Amino acid sequence: MKKLVAILMAALMLVGIVACTAKPAEKPADQPADQPADQPVAEQPAAQGKVFNIYAWNEEFKGFFEKYYTVPEGITVNWIITPSDNGAYQQKLDEALLNQANAKDDDKIDMFLAEADYIGKYVDSDYTMDISKIGFTNAPTQYEYTIKAASDVNGVCKGVSFQCCPAAVIYRKSIAKDVLGTDDPAEVQAAMDTWEKFDAVAAQAKEKGYLMTASFAETFRAFSNNCTMPWVDANNNLQFDPQITKWIDQTDNYIKNGYTLTAGVWDAEKTNEMFKTGKTMCFFGPAWYYNFCMTNAMDPEQGCVGDWCIVKGPQAYFWGGTWLLAATGSDNTEMLKDIFETFTVNEDVCTKLVANEGQFPNNTNVVDKFANDPTWGNTMILDGQNDTAVFAELAKDIKWENHTNYDQILNEGLQNKLQEYFNGSVDKDTAMKNFYQLIKETYPNIVLPEA
Amino acid sequence: MEQIQTGKTKRKSVSYAKWGYIFIAPFFIAYIVFTLVPQFLTIYNSFFETYRVGLQQIGPNFVGFDNYKALFTPDSQGTILILKYAANTMILWIMGAVPQFVIAMLLALFFTSYRLNIKGQGFFKTVIYMPNLIMAAAFSMLFYTLFSRVGPIQALLEGWGVIDHTFDFFAIRISVRSMIALMNFLMWFGNTTIVLMAGIMGIDQALFESATIDGANSVQVFFRVTLPLLMPIFVYCLITAMIGGIQMFDVPQVLSKGDGVPNGTTRTLVMYLNGYLKTKNLGMSGAISVIMFIITGGLGAIVYKMLSAQYKEPKKHRDRGRNVQ
Repeated sequence: MKKLVAILMAALMLVGIVACTAKPAEKPADQPADQPADQPVAEQPAAQGKVFNIYAWNEEFKGFFEKYYTVPEGITVNWIITPSDNGAYQQKLDEALLNQANAKDDDKIDMFLAEADYIGKYVDSDYTMDISKIGFTNAPTQYEYTIKAASDVNGVCKGVSFQCCPAAVIYRKSIAKDVLGTDDPAEVQAAMDTWEKFDAVAAQAKEKGYLMTASFAETFRAFSNNCTMPWVDANNNLQFDPQITKWIDQTDNYIKNGYTLTAGVWDAEKTNEMFKTGKTMCFFGPAWYYNFCMTNAMDPEQGCVGDWCIVKGPQAYFWGGTWLLAATGSDNTEMLKDIFETFTVNEDVCTKLVANEGQFPNNTNVVDKFANDPTWGNTMILDGQNDTAVFAELAKDIKWENHTNYDQILNEGLQNKLQEYFNGSVDKDTAMKNFYQLIKETYPNIVLPEA
Repeated sequence: MEQIQTGKTKRKSVSYAKWGYIFIAPFFIAYIVFTLVPQFLTIYNSFFETYRVGLQQIGPNFVGFDNYKALFTPDSQGTILILKYAANTMILWIMGAVPQFVIAMLLALFFTSYRLNIKGQGFFKTVIYMPNLIMAAAFSMLFYTLFSRVGPIQALLEGWGVIDHTFDFFAIRISVRSMIALMNFLMWFGNTTIVLMAGIMGIDQALFESATIDGANSVQVFFRVTLPLLMPIFVYCLITAMIGGIQMFDVPQVLSKGDGVPNGTTRTLVMYLNGYLKTKNLGMSGAISVIMFIITGGLGAIVYKMLSAQYKEPKKHRDRGRNVQ
């Protein structure tokens, strides 16, 4: 009996060992098994996969995709969503891309989303593929800069954007009326068409007990997307554009005078200012900002729909944008092409994006149609102003230049580290030192000015 | 055993020793594969420059001790960051561990006291263990939400007029550190209580009784009887807690959004290491790991030496006592 128990126990342990050691062995064992399985697929080039994997960092595009794109029968769409906080999205995406060649066909990334701040990193690599190879040709209705952003150094285009992101100043009409005596977009624009005038309005707003902006970083993109030189030069030297320095000075001034808050751009403290009870006059954002950041303003009870208008503000700029990139190794090329077409050249879908979602689509035909339609106005959040017409004007000036693959860490890192200076926990030198330290940790190849 | 062996001679040939090895083999195999080999790889990698810029791999290039040198090079304001973060880690751990051990010891004494004979022990034990079951990240997120600029605590204190609207819990060193210490304390005191209770219950009750009969008060019983006999378990608890403390990561990481606000004063060693892992910088993060390994080993040895020396002392007393009898 005892022996039997001992044998049983030993057998159990052995099972444990085998189970333990089998796991790590599983992956390499799969790879050779995978290759013969690949061959029948290669014999029929038209064969398409059954699973379409999309990597994204939020649900924004997923919502539009599910509403306006009809997935071909028999294909399962698999969303892998990782928030971009602290670079988590890119880390996850990078791991998957580096493993792309070894992954099973159904696990391969077919399409992934990328933002303006780091699109170059993927476009300039072999992990994205030439979209002309899958039969997609960029249409003349697409905005030039969206194509340039998705093209590598040789001009090979790797993806499309479903939106165009000219950004404006979104202001509260009631507060503008109180501060400037007018809420008419033309007059408000005239009152703040330079940064000097904008600062003067901020002082006026403060006198009346209002805030000009609700985040220390609110105006950051208006400056940073107008930079005349990239963050890092050809020899990997970090350089501060005068626009960045100007933003730091302005924010310094705004914090000292109480024109703004120490909250970050995405913080609840800032978005709470969009409620009816909010005291903030201006927000900076493109069309995606409505759905993405201004839900408080659209709250049926505490919101203030119709109390908003947009103007160009002191400096035209663009902010963000989501590009859809074709991943090398995708086995669903037909569906990829289909998705690209749906969200760029399909005027029906683009029209719905404007009419139902308040978006600014990447299709000049649709944009012109709305911009020239006297009956069209945004009542989703604005007072019925034709915002498409305003954005259409701004979109003409967007240029894609001075971008580096380091932009996300540098733009967000600078904001985060300086936030500690603006909220009073450290002095400016220490904040800058912390910023340099962050760069040193993340990209040791960048040469810092102090070193 | 003897009887069986003499009864059936055949069984004499069975060597039970090998079963022992077979039973412990799974642990050693798992240890070698998942811990020992990666440990050596970490040390190996710490001598290389290896990281990624975007999707492009830089290195690995052998650089000798350059990574260690870089870690101990002072920055422009003369701070050696790794020392600063090591100090942060120790401060955060001590702030949480002192109340953790004091409260856990008291609770363990109350629960095991035959005099108090507390009812509903199962309930209390479950309750004090409960915070440990929550994910540290979720617990941290809860605290972040509670104390954030738009959170209920800020609103409450503002309503009472204690603070004004510019007050920020996360801009003050002591408040962020206290929050982290409090969370670690709440999460771990239950665990320590259970282990210490097990230790106390392993002590012969007759010793407590005889001490009481000899006229020792409860303080004397604790310091002269319970503590010396509990020392091995206590040292074990302390060393494991310290190792856990050195590796503190999730609570401060989530609470300070990975930045160790304010000014990196709540950034721990593992958060520092994690910063380098963002770009798969195995060289620098390997060097930090090696330093942490040395710190952990050193501190473990010191604590063990100090405390085990102490608990050997009373043992002699006890032996002497017996001899007298």
